[in-house]
Amino acid sequence: MTGRALVRGGLLLAVLAAVVVLPLWVNRTQPYYLQLSINVLIFATLALSWDILARTGQLSLAHAAFYGLGAYTSVLLTTRAGLPIVAGMAAGAVVAVVAAVLLGVLTLRLRGIYFAIATLAFSETLRVITNQVRFTGAATGLVAPPLLGGHRPSQYLVILTILLALTLVSWWVNRSRWHFAFTAIRANEEVAAVMGVDVVRFKVLAFAISALFAGITGAFYAHVFLFISPLEAYSLAVSVGALVAPIFGGLYTTAGPLVGAVVLRAGEEVLRSTVQRGYPIIYGFLLAAVILYMPGGLAGVWASLAARIPRPARRGARGEPAGS
Amino acid sequence: MLIFGVLRSGLYSLTSVGLALSVGVIGIVNFAHGEFLMLGAFLGYWLFVSYGVDPLAAIPIGAAAIFLLGGAVYQLSIRRVLRAPELNQMLLTFGLSIFLQNLAIILWTGDPRVATVSYKAEALAVGPFTLGVPQLVVFGLAMALTIGLYAVLGGTRVGKAMRAVAQNRLGASLLGIDVDRIYLLAFGLSTALAGIAGMMITLQLSVSPFIGLLYTLKAFAIMVIAGLGNINGVIYASLVLGLSEAFVEFYVPQGGGWAEGVFFFLILVVLLVRPRGLFR
Repeated sequence: MTGRALVRGGLLLAVLAAVVVLPLWVNRTQPYYLQLSINVLIFATLALSWDILARTGQLSLAHAAFYGLGAYTSVLLTTRAGLPIVAGMAAGAVVAVVAAVLLGVLTLRLRGIYFAIATLAFSETLRVITNQVRFTGAATGLVAPPLLGGHRPSQYLVILTILLALTLVSWWVNRSRWHFAFTAIRANEEVAAVMGVDVVRFKVLAFAISALFAGITGAFYAHVFLFISPLEAYSLAVSVGALVAPIFGGLYTTAGPLVGAVVLRAGEEVLRSTVQRGYPIIYGFLLAAVILYMPGGLAGVWASLAARIPRPARRGARGEPAGS
Repeated sequence: MLIFGVLRSGLYSLTSVGLALSVGVIGIVNFAHGEFLMLGAFLGYWLFVSYGVDPLAAIPIGAAAIFLLGGAVYQLSIRRVLRAPELNQMLLTFGLSIFLQNLAIILWTGDPRVATVSYKAEALAVGPFTLGVPQLVVFGLAMALTIGLYAVLGGTRVGKAMRAVAQNRLGASLLGIDVDRIYLLAFGLSTALAGIAGMMITLQLSVSPFIGLLYTLKAFAIMVIAGLGNINGVIYASLVLGLSEAFVEFYVPQGGGWAEGVFFFLILVVLLVRPRGLFR
């Protein structure tokens, strides 16, 4: 191990320790911040899982579909079939994955804008169906049983574990051969196929991984907030948030979506207390601003800053402009 | 039922033909299209409530205002992404949409508002049917405008220039057409048409910041049915959507709720089965 690697490892450990301990410690005096931390982690999980799918060039507007499917599956199974919550959450993830594979196969041929519109239509169709069918509680929604007896600190650790697992997966994807397959597909599907990349397999796999985490997060959200409705679980705001955070933070990276999610949610909290309504305006503003003025997102800014500081040991910036 | 479906399709085609213009001529799939419609609706509402101007009489003012706004938006943002990847264009307009919607919520709250025009409840008996006067008027005007747009595209110099640019940007510029100005004009016109549709909505339905997205999506559905960028297919595609919605509302139990999903379902099916569109 070199000295730099040691420093990096130590830094990572320190951040991890802070993330585990700080919210729990703050919780003793200000429970609001623990709740906020849970929200941020839900948001970050959605953002990073969306990004994994985006790495294959599939910019989806259906993330809310998997989130909602996970939530509804788990709540229906725990309340109507009496399953334990852990089993319900697992089933929620499975159903989300099955739906994702189906959608992934159906939309294989669609590119760019067509793909985005089709996924949006898929998500909204699920919302309309859930809104109409009595079995799923229709427009009134469903009451969900609390996870771990509603003990907030334990719940926090659960979502933190989910996010850490996803972070490892994302990190691994970007380190392994998959990274090249994903990037090749994103750059040019035909060329990737000619080079021997199994395009179908990787595109559907990315869909499955992405939906797995969105589904389990949806189930988690249901059992933490104890109530779900079609309008919230299948909300377009979920899909929008999952898309804006990675774009703002830096697409196709592991850190970008996480940092983007934290910064965005913090900004939203500030707006929430100042203008009270219409605070999602920050998503629209940042989305437009990033596209117009900082195509690499925060990661791009970071890379260009780092590039200005001459440091021979650096292994080159890994940032990549949006939509390349 | 048939008549309801047809009447509804008038507003749909006016909204979608604007979007088709933007897609067909400039190549921009504008997610914020419905937001211009929403702003037009608020403008119509505001002119009516504050100054007593009938929303129909206010259409020229509203169209001009939204045209200018659309032009400004084009100059400030759209123009910069014309050569960017398609997804960046989509994300930019998506951001614009979220921005405008929430700006409206901040300015006017999310409450729905209703402008009660004197003839709102009036109805005409046509044969065995009773039809609302506002619906009839809106249908007539919307259709007239849509067909008017076709005439402009087909017959005038500007229209021909737009079609030329749509076909081949470089070729058109070689012929001495100022492509940038045509784009600006097409985008302004596109948003102005949405604004007009919005003012017509003031006549029939309530106005709220949330209506924009719904109409954007319906316009998408129509464009997908017609084939992306196909301006001529829009009228037929609007009829398909209007009729299928009316059909679901009348024949399916609790059809009102299901009708909301018709257009998404149509998008999904058409994109999966025939992504080029039905009318091409």
